[in-house]
Amino acid sequence: MAVKFESDASGAWNEMFSAPGQARPVYERLLADLDAYQPQELRARSEQLSRTFIDRGVTFAHSGEERPFPLDLVPRILGALEWDRLARGIAQRVRALEAFLADVYGAGRIFDEGLMPRSVITSSPHYCRPAFGISPPNDVRIAVAGIDLIRDEHGNFCVLEDNVRIPSGVSYVIENRRAMTQAFSSLFSDHRVHPVDSYPSRLFAALLAAAPRKAVDPVIVVLSPGVHNAAYFEHVLLARMMGVELVEGRDLVCRSNHVYMRTTNGERAVHVIYRRVDDDWLDPLQFRPDSVIGVAGLVNAARAGNVVISNGIGNGVADDKLVYTYVPEFIRFYLGEKPLLDNIETHRLEDAAVREAVLASLADYVLKPVDGSGGKGIVIGPQATKTELKALRKAIAAAPRNFIAQRPVALSTHPTFVGDSLAPRHIDLRPFAVNDGSDVWVLPGGLTRVALGEGELIVNSSRGGGSKDTWVINDEAVAFRGAVPPASSRPRRHGAAPRQNDEFVGAGDEQ
Amino acid sequence: MLSRLAESLFWIGRYIERADDTARIVDSYVHRMVEDPFNDESATCRSLYSILGIEVGPERLNTAETLQTIVYDIDNPNSIAGALNGAYENARRSRDYISSEMWVALNTTRNELPKRESRARNFGPSTYLGYVRERAALLAGLTDATLSHDDGWRFLVLGRNLERIDMTARLLRGRVVSDENAPDWMAFLRASGAMEAFMRNTREVDDANGVAAFLMLDRLFPRSVLYSLNLADECLVEIQPVSQRISSGDPARQALARARGMLEFIDPRQLIEQLPELLEMLESTCFRITDAVTDRYFRHEEAVAWIIEEGL
Amino acid sequence: MTPRLGLSIRHHTGFTYDGVAKASYNEARMTPRSLGTQQVQASKLTVRPAVPTWTYTDYFGTIVSAFDIQETHPQLEVEAVSQVESWAATLEAPLGWSELRSPHLVDRFSEFLLPTTRTAMGEVADLTAWRNLPDVHQCVEAVAGFVRSEVSYVPGATTVSATGREAWDRRKGVCQDITHVTIGLLREMGIPARYVSGYLFPAIDSEAGDVVEGQSHAWVEYYSGSWTGIDPTNGVRETERHIIVGHGRDYDDVAPLKGIYQGAASTQLGVVVEMRRTH
Repeated sequence: MAVKFESDASGAWNEMFSAPGQARPVYERLLADLDAYQPQELRARSEQLSRTFIDRGVTFAHSGEERPFPLDLVPRILGALEWDRLARGIAQRVRALEAFLADVYGAGRIFDEGLMPRSVITSSPHYCRPAFGISPPNDVRIAVAGIDLIRDEHGNFCVLEDNVRIPSGVSYVIENRRAMTQAFSSLFSDHRVHPVDSYPSRLFAALLAAAPRKAVDPVIVVLSPGVHNAAYFEHVLLARMMGVELVEGRDLVCRSNHVYMRTTNGERAVHVIYRRVDDDWLDPLQFRPDSVIGVAGLVNAARAGNVVISNGIGNGVADDKLVYTYVPEFIRFYLGEKPLLDNIETHRLEDAAVREAVLASLADYVLKPVDGSGGKGIVIGPQATKTELKALRKAIAAAPRNFIAQRPVALSTHPTFVGDSLAPRHIDLRPFAVNDGSDVWVLPGGLTRVALGEGELIVNSSRGGGSKDTWVINDEAVAFRGAVPPASSRPRRHGAAPRQNDEFVGAGDEQ
Repeated sequence: MLSRLAESLFWIGRYIERADDTARIVDSYVHRMVEDPFNDESATCRSLYSILGIEVGPERLNTAETLQTIVYDIDNPNSIAGALNGAYENARRSRDYISSEMWVALNTTRNELPKRESRARNFGPSTYLGYVRERAALLAGLTDATLSHDDGWRFLVLGRNLERIDMTARLLRGRVVSDENAPDWMAFLRASGAMEAFMRNTREVDDANGVAAFLMLDRLFPRSVLYSLNLADECLVEIQPVSQRISSGDPARQALARARGMLEFIDPRQLIEQLPELLEMLESTCFRITDAVTDRYFRHEEAVAWIIEEGL
Repeated sequence: MTPRLGLSIRHHTGFTYDGVAKASYNEARMTPRSLGTQQVQASKLTVRPAVPTWTYTDYFGTIVSAFDIQETHPQLEVEAVSQVESWAATLEAPLGWSELRSPHLVDRFSEFLLPTTRTAMGEVADLTAWRNLPDVHQCVEAVAGFVRSEVSYVPGATTVSATGREAWDRRKGVCQDITHVTIGLLREMGIPARYVSGYLFPAIDSEAGDVVEGQSHAWVEYYSGSWTGIDPTNGVRETERHIIVGHGRDYDDVAPLKGIYQGAASTQLGVVVEMRRTH
């Protein structure tokens, strides 16, 4: 079916077209390919995809129900050149956040230099004093980062938020690709799509590199809160694809600062824990004593250097949205580099003058709670009711530290299969970065989330969002388009289904 | 392997077998319950409950409610739907271990049950029961064909065989207490899938002793008690850590050996007289083995509540 | 400065269970640390049932002994014995108010200026008069004196989990509560204040070698150019008789023994602090 340009009243950037009838070069071939399909055929494939997801349990738990995370049939495409720029920006950001965390839980140079008030940290709910004195053997606290990006009205990618606690969603990237290669193999023979299935081995290598030096043959596990967690499927997928045990807190025991898992053959030492349990629930001795999904004594075992907890404890302080406003500073200060990716224009409300200015025209801003994730608590000024704004004004006055104000950005739109036609819907992008201590590797593509409601700007799965397979393709495939031989006569590059034979449950909104 | 994982696999084995066996037993009653106009409905239902070891009150029982409890009630772990759900829940917990084909088969089975149930309400339970048997066979096949035959698989097979012994013992007991509402020996053979195998072996279909001996003692028929006991023992031997060259007095194997001993040396011709005693022994053997295996291999903390010490 | 007081301190505490406890994880903060006004010569912490302890220094600089017990046990006992030399601090000239309220110091000590659940007081007193006192030391003395006059020291009046505000509302409490209240008021006035956990030697006139019953104690340190101690419960400044174990924002950062376990309900064994002058 033909895809038409539809302009968006909000002035949002159109990912596929630069003007009516004028497709962006990376999309040209896809448009030609899509032309060959009838709407009914697309509908049938779409239904088949969601049925496959349900049969295979590729779902996430939402309000006690297992739901598939809808996969849109139209992939999102990024050219390799543009991707390379993004990946470098993401890696830079991760390196800066690493340096910041090491500093916050160490010498505190950034405060001494006066570049950031200490109170930003001491007032952050995620500042974790028990994390003090835990030094990771290879200095990595962020083994995995999910840096959320959006593309603004001018086509620039900006960072929306950093997720360096337990970013989730990578299983969708892997599973979406797998589903798409099965449902649309012909598209893949026409495009050189960078593969995504090396993620688990990258993560495994990073976890191995993070192991305590004294561990000769380190044992790595994935720690999950259990089957009721929204992202349980992702935990299963990663454990399987890395070939390590998926454990729950009750499978582990700490004795004299060593961690063991209980097996049918007795206890077995554990050296690296890729944990998908929040700090608060991780160790009932240090944090919430009512936690039954954690492991008592774990934090001190890490402090003693016998086990590595990954991602690090206390990383949440870097996710704080007030801290986010300082990240460009971090890049300059710690790395001596110029930030490659911009933040969205953001205002700190603790400054009285700034606060007054924002409060005076609250309806012109997007207000976000500093420690929210998954779109929770966000108020979009232009769409808010008077009552909402009034309540917000009160909340800000009571605790200005708890909010930031941002310029409303019209997220870029992408044609999306809705009903029996293609319509523009807003999207964002969560690329995933893996840090093994010597290199920050960025998974090509990442998770494109799409807000399925018309005009809807919040893309999270818990808000009824869907996702798109995200392709990074070599631009030369476009440049040489005329010379590309027919699909059947070419060797398949990435057309084959990814090797893994894994199941997929959805990842929800761990972060 | 992780103790919790081993336990999940053991229960997957048990639950799938339970669903299968329950479907077979119910099937052997269905004709009487649904189609026989001269049948005492309440007494037949009572007989079915008693074979399955479910206690019921003295009230009058009817077929619809009985089928609801024994077949469709997903919240009852002894019902067919409940057992399949139990297998599914354990498979979720061991999803990183079992093969994806097993997982998909279990997941789709569970998703399919409500549809099958509403169809069964219109056309009778036989299609539902047939579906369950088919899926159980598929799952058993996938278990053997797509899992490595390592300890995890052995725990699953162990669970399957213990459940099978338990169910065969129950089935026979229905006959032993000479319950006139229980299906006849032939129906039992059919329920066990043993009809042809038995007929090939002996032609005396009216010989109660022969049927009992076949279901208890046959060395080649895979649903016989002795066959299952042998398989269970093989699993236990191989699960045992290799380092233990001297038998450490595994209580599970001891219980198993006692049961095997009793069956091996019995005179088949006198089986029927000793059957009540043997069946009781078998049931308690299954209990003892499960306890011993749990105690030895499935040691893991249940999610525990911690208590805060408040002090100065 | 010459050492004025040599002390041997034995702090014994623990729990007994209705039945048994298993899998118990604990952290003890019962070991004094060497500081400007005290020198720790020896210290030893033992646990019964006997298990190895592991020591680290926490965020606030307190020495922590961590241990876990896996065997079932009907009772847990912890005993810390230390030898300490202690001398009184000299009171240094305080910073002026304007310096104390400079953005630099406010930020540096933000942690000890923000209220915690334990120290949040709300507007319970008019602080204006004290704010106008020119000298920070005088101001703190006045606040401490006020708290002491309002909240009477009544052992057992509150539980260990009480907040300062709860004690204030009852107008009675123990040293922990009086300390929380004082800290809360000082922070409201913009004076950085922190919680001190330690021991108080009650019998300065006792002979060397006499064992006297001491107590676990809590008092306040505030920042006035340097950290300065004041004991609102006893209405005195920190003396050589005050032996410091650790600092924190409030009690929760320096609880002498905190832990979790599985098993039957527990009863506190009662705290015994024995102190003996060594010279």
